[in-house]
Amino acid sequence: MTNSDDKFAARVLNISKKFGETTVLDNVTFNVSEGEIIVLLGASGSGKTTILRILAGLEAPDSGSIILHGKDVTNLPARMRGTGVIFQAYALFPKMNVEENIGYGLRLRKTAKSEIKKAVDRLIEMVDLQAHRKKRPSQLSGGQQQRVAIARALAYEPEVLLFDEPFGALDAQIRTTLRREIRALLKKINVPSIFITHDQEEALELGDRIAVLNAGRLEQIGTPFEVYNKPETEHVATFLGSANLLPGIIKDGKFTSNDISLEIDEENDLKEGQKVKLVFRPEDVFLRKPENLTQHYQKLADGEVEEVSFVGAFERVGVKLYLPEARHIIITRPKTETSAFPLSIGQQVPVGLVRFRILKITAELRIIPLDALSL
Amino acid sequence: MSANLSNVRHVRGFDVVKPLSIAVMIAIMLPLVLLPLASIFIFGTSNGFASFWNALTAPEAVFALKLSLVTSFWATIFNVLFGLFAAYVLSKYNFWGRNALIVTISLPTAIPTAVAGFALLLLWGPYGTLGRLLDPEGPQIMFTAFAIILANIFVTFPLAFGVIKPVFDTMSSSLEEASATMGATRWQTFWHVTLPSLRGAIVGGALLTFARSVGEFGSTILVSGNLSSRTQTAPLYIFAKFNEGQVEAANAIAIVLALFSFAIFSILFFARDWLEAE
Repeated sequence: MTNSDDKFAARVLNISKKFGETTVLDNVTFNVSEGEIIVLLGASGSGKTTILRILAGLEAPDSGSIILHGKDVTNLPARMRGTGVIFQAYALFPKMNVEENIGYGLRLRKTAKSEIKKAVDRLIEMVDLQAHRKKRPSQLSGGQQQRVAIARALAYEPEVLLFDEPFGALDAQIRTTLRREIRALLKKINVPSIFITHDQEEALELGDRIAVLNAGRLEQIGTPFEVYNKPETEHVATFLGSANLLPGIIKDGKFTSNDISLEIDEENDLKEGQKVKLVFRPEDVFLRKPENLTQHYQKLADGEVEEVSFVGAFERVGVKLYLPEARHIIITRPKTETSAFPLSIGQQVPVGLVRFRILKITAELRIIPLDALSL
Repeated sequence: MSANLSNVRHVRGFDVVKPLSIAVMIAIMLPLVLLPLASIFIFGTSNGFASFWNALTAPEAVFALKLSLVTSFWATIFNVLFGLFAAYVLSKYNFWGRNALIVTISLPTAIPTAVAGFALLLLWGPYGTLGRLLDPEGPQIMFTAFAIILANIFVTFPLAFGVIKPVFDTMSSSLEEASATMGATRWQTFWHVTLPSLRGAIVGGALLTFARSVGEFGSTILVSGNLSSRTQTAPLYIFAKFNEGQVEAANAIAIVLALFSFAIFSILFFARDWLEAE
């Protein structure tokens, strides 16, 4: 173990796992730094839950290793790893009250009674449950139960906190407030944490970095900004936010498709004649002449407005591109645009892009087996 | 037509069907259940409380009651511990033959108790499969209090298991996993997390087993030998005294057993919710 590896709170190294014939995890590797929040984002069956269970020691990998603070724990049982798991339905012990739940990990460690009391008092205050310390879990709201679960895991100073879809059981509104609170709390106490979720909004808001999983593979890991703005695969582009896709090839170092030709600003290793896909976000499209635009604007094609719908904070526009094969794209426009340049159905508009990505097409076909979806 | 019907059912806003159906229900129960029970109490007190008390405190009667309680106690202890263990194994692990085992455990309740007693005799009796291996001069198994315990264990075998297993089945495995990630051994998890959730089921299963054991007759009469003041349980005592024409002696014990069952049922009914909530 070199010193540079020791700075990581947790390392997942080349983890693979099969359930029967189904590959659930395929050579997954990532590191978690001290105090960092990583969000594993993926659909059902992507293998994210299995990674969490392998980290906690509740499941054994077929190959690869788990390193916690420089120590290889791959062969240690769950109880000797010292991870703190916040289960989906919190898994609070129903016959113990809040204090007893929080103190359980310390009681198991034979900590002195006075020490336990001190720690429990401190944690109860931290998660603001002073008024509920003698209550049973069934008498608490979902948000309160979650705070107990976090305090309970923090009590024995875990190596890493693992959150299994912690907001799944809560109302949409509470969910947003709660995840902000939890992020603030985790940043304050500086405990390395791994969340798993299928909710992209949650991932973007919670994570210092997001790891996108697809059918057992880690497709991309990066800051929310990187993963959203510079997706490396089609799956990442479409799973995180919405994206418009257009196939084409590289010609003279440019993206080419029918009459379209776009200069590629970013450094790249694209080869001449290579098949690629153009990916652009709905908000990166501009639907009028680029007067006074500071961003680099490139014309894509002309189009016709097919649909305009008001969706609260912005307007969604469906546009048909005038291309040999009809292409329908989705565009979102902020309020400032919609009031200055209102659009009507049937109107002809120039369609231009201020930002886009070019993705290489991997020849390989990926089939997700049906039974993997229920995992 | 429908207007007529609703007139019959509701006489000036009063629903006739409700008191009528309750009355019919009680009328059916009266000759079948309520009157037989009442007659024990009516007969038992017809000669005054003193004669009831004398019948109850006769040494043979006291012995029979004690024997019933002691043999039922040990059968209950065994079946609750076994039921807990079997429920744990059969809910937690999935293996080939698991369902066959669940059916086998549940089988004894479906077997007539006389058959159960007979089966035990064939196994442990003087000429039984295992019984013939016992030294004829040495300690025997049949016709002893131990035989009564064996018979009780057999006929009440699945009761505690049947109450405990469903609770195990509905218990979320993430509770045990949470306990493990927090540093608990399997035993600590069982003791601190699993067992507290089973308290209600354990008490309920124990009461059922005990009540059923105390009342056991069919198998006991075959394996015990029905020896007065030696292997005669309370139900056997009732049967023996009745055959001898001592109806009053039989009736005194009958009252005690009836009250006892009533008490156990009340506890089951009212205390279980409370135990489970605790």
